[in-house]
Amino acid sequence: MTWPNHNQSSRFHGTLQEGLGCFIYPTKRFKTVTIHAAWVRELTEPDNALGAMLVEVMRRGTESWPERIQVEARLEELYGATFRADIGKLGDKQLLSFYITITHGQFLPGNPDTVRDALDFLTEVLDRPHRVDGLFPSSVVDQEKTLLKRQIAAIINDKGQYAMSRLMELVADGRRFGLRKLGTEKAVERVTPESLSQFYEAVHRDATFLFTVVGDVDENMVQQYFSEHWRKPRHSLSTIQPLYKEGEAKTVVEPSEVRQGKLNLAYRTHLTAQSHGFPALMMYSGILGGFSHSKLFMNVREKASLAYYAYSRLDPALALMFIGAGIEFKDYQAARDIIEAQVLAVKKGEFSEDEMTFTVKAYANDILSEQDSPPQLIGRHLEEILVGGGQEGTALIESLKTVTRDEIIQAASGVELDTVFFLTEQEESGHEE
Amino acid sequence: MRNKTLSWEKMGESPVRERLDSGLELLVLPKPGLKKTYATYATHYGSIDSHFYRPGSKSPVQVPDGIAHFLEHKMYEKPQAQVFERFGELGAYTNAYTEYTTTTFLFSATSLVDECLKTLLWLVEEPYFTEENVAKEKGIIEQEIRMYLDMPGERLRSNLMQALYHNNPVRLDIAGSVESIHTITPEDLYLCYNTFYHPSNMVIFVAGDVNPKEIIDQIATLEQLRQVSHRSAVDRIFPQEPDGVAQSYVDQALPVASPLFMMGYKDTTTGLKGADLLRRDVTMGMLWSLLLGPSSRLLNDLYQDGLVNERFYAHYSSAATYGISVLGGETPDPKRLEAVLNDRLTQEPIRREDLERLKKKQLGEFVTLFEDPEDLAYLFNSLYFRGIDLVELPEAIEAISVTDLEEARQNHLVEAARSTSVVWPNHPQGGPS
Repeated sequence: MTWPNHNQSSRFHGTLQEGLGCFIYPTKRFKTVTIHAAWVRELTEPDNALGAMLVEVMRRGTESWPERIQVEARLEELYGATFRADIGKLGDKQLLSFYITITHGQFLPGNPDTVRDALDFLTEVLDRPHRVDGLFPSSVVDQEKTLLKRQIAAIINDKGQYAMSRLMELVADGRRFGLRKLGTEKAVERVTPESLSQFYEAVHRDATFLFTVVGDVDENMVQQYFSEHWRKPRHSLSTIQPLYKEGEAKTVVEPSEVRQGKLNLAYRTHLTAQSHGFPALMMYSGILGGFSHSKLFMNVREKASLAYYAYSRLDPALALMFIGAGIEFKDYQAARDIIEAQVLAVKKGEFSEDEMTFTVKAYANDILSEQDSPPQLIGRHLEEILVGGGQEGTALIESLKTVTRDEIIQAASGVELDTVFFLTEQEESGHEE
Repeated sequence: MRNKTLSWEKMGESPVRERLDSGLELLVLPKPGLKKTYATYATHYGSIDSHFYRPGSKSPVQVPDGIAHFLEHKMYEKPQAQVFERFGELGAYTNAYTEYTTTTFLFSATSLVDECLKTLLWLVEEPYFTEENVAKEKGIIEQEIRMYLDMPGERLRSNLMQALYHNNPVRLDIAGSVESIHTITPEDLYLCYNTFYHPSNMVIFVAGDVNPKEIIDQIATLEQLRQVSHRSAVDRIFPQEPDGVAQSYVDQALPVASPLFMMGYKDTTTGLKGADLLRRDVTMGMLWSLLLGPSSRLLNDLYQDGLVNERFYAHYSSAATYGISVLGGETPDPKRLEAVLNDRLTQEPIRREDLERLKKKQLGEFVTLFEDPEDLAYLFNSLYFRGIDLVELPEAIEAISVTDLEEARQNHLVEAARSTSVVWPNHPQGGPS
């Protein structure tokens, strides 16, 4: 599958062909150059756990810098370059991501060629991880297993995040996008130096590879560097599969040791970023709960004092909308009623011209602001590739401006409740409706 | 900038600074090409300033804990309209935060900057507190405090601060307690507002694709209309703080998966200002980078032993009346981690080559700061209120010697000034593995 550079107004230059993509965003706005390399695969079990393990182990050492301490010292030597190896998840895709951000040499004494150093560093990490007789050292694998298992167990520490990931599992109901990006403790336990090394070989050889550079760089130099280092064709990837399902909504109440109730609702929207009606859906969600002037914030928090936070946001890949609020346990029904009343109000067209104007302006602010942040630019671009299109930047702002009241009502008509998840206190016994 | 290796010109920056007759300080940093303009209006007033003399008065005043944060919330309410709505109309984002010694109001916008500035001034300069609106806010802030009570990391830190300090108000939570905020009255709020939100106690920072002269002229014109004259500084009262800690160990059981560990050293060298405070600050920062930074032997040994993960942190923060080093993270074995740290922190060699490499890192990080107006504003404001000019930073870093670090270690890392805080899992299945 081949994706052309779908958006001419985009400042990313490059194409994705035969599973290989090199995208460059040349700009003088920043002090830094950010390089992102990602292997993208289908999210499956137990590859989620293997992927989560792999990025951690690869971060630990390379052939030139076998010890972690040497990797870190090298980054400090490169004027405190920041390097991250992350496991990510976008819809039903797994992303093994490697980021390096380095200060551009023109702002440093002696004008060092830091961009070349950063490219070399990243290549070393990707192509020459530290292995002994072809295998990742078992001591390293064991350490990272312990840490990852602990990290998986620790998800419960962040109640908001925990509630959100439980909701996601309930919505997915067995579909791949509900899999956790870190995998399960059991799957991590089963990882061996052999299985991890084989997984690395397979990913390194076959996975779709996306390479993105943002900053004041020479495009030809980067393109040439890319084609010298990565030229073999790889698996190409399908776009993210949205959730189109039918059926009644379900409510799950889970007791846990919390002092504040977390109320999360998921709605099916039937529209993804590439749908024609998506800008209208964005308007719907924005008027409802995207901003501090939105209905949820004004009514649930400001008028009823029921919540400290209340928001709605879209998942542009999965065709979902989420609403979240932190509330008192006893206020569950009141908060749910007032939230559902807002959802309905916007559906019925109960919003003013002012609310529409504010929402367009707030989105314009967000969309333009993104362009000041290299990681956000890269993230948005990646999302666009994996969703398979959609508007961005000024084109998206223009579309939002032309959305009419009727189009918002039309988009809203497809929004239906899928799942309600309430994380509540322990004393109150949980029940399922 | 006097540093011979790094000038404003080399860094491609040209900040403009101005002090108005009222005592209000302005800093404008033009950032051509950035989409977003970011502005802060900050006062040298935070959660620890609850005991003071009003200018011109000889009797001290004591106000309820948490009032600075309450005041920050309440500034958003006006008789005519809500500030959130006004910024919403402008398509801008606004927020505010309260810390130990500062309160900061901010906006970021991608258009209509002059209107946004006017709104920021309106936000900060026109208090409106009534019995009714103060009563309503109590519900919202109570929810916010309860949210923090659910965050194990917040409890860990709060417990540590209470263990380190006998009397200094840094031992109290910034938002106060549910009990203390319920005693706050409109009169208390006006009293604090009139005392601390005076131009001579405040600073405005603006960064974006703007013309500095226009920004300064606009603010100067608006400020002149207020007819506020310069005033002497507020006399704040702080209790005597013994050198030793209140408790050397404190713990709590909460629903976490693995124990959380935090150790703190209370700095007994306080009362520094300007260049002396800066020297202390950068020296301590460098000391922690050397002892427990990513390239340190000690951190790597802890990591390999599985005692810490990569989110382990160690840093120093200070103001005129306090200084604290804080280090910690998740660990399976707090007791062993504490023992290793106590054993090795005072023994690790401090090498010149490591220091030189870390200076390069900090130089690069300083340059990078100018890409992110938010981080820059944060640093500029916090240094400004401590009597430090941002431009002095690179030179101060360059001047650090091995001897400085050894001396700092000797007088700071002492047992009597040390406390440890632990949060244990209260579920047996989540206990140490």
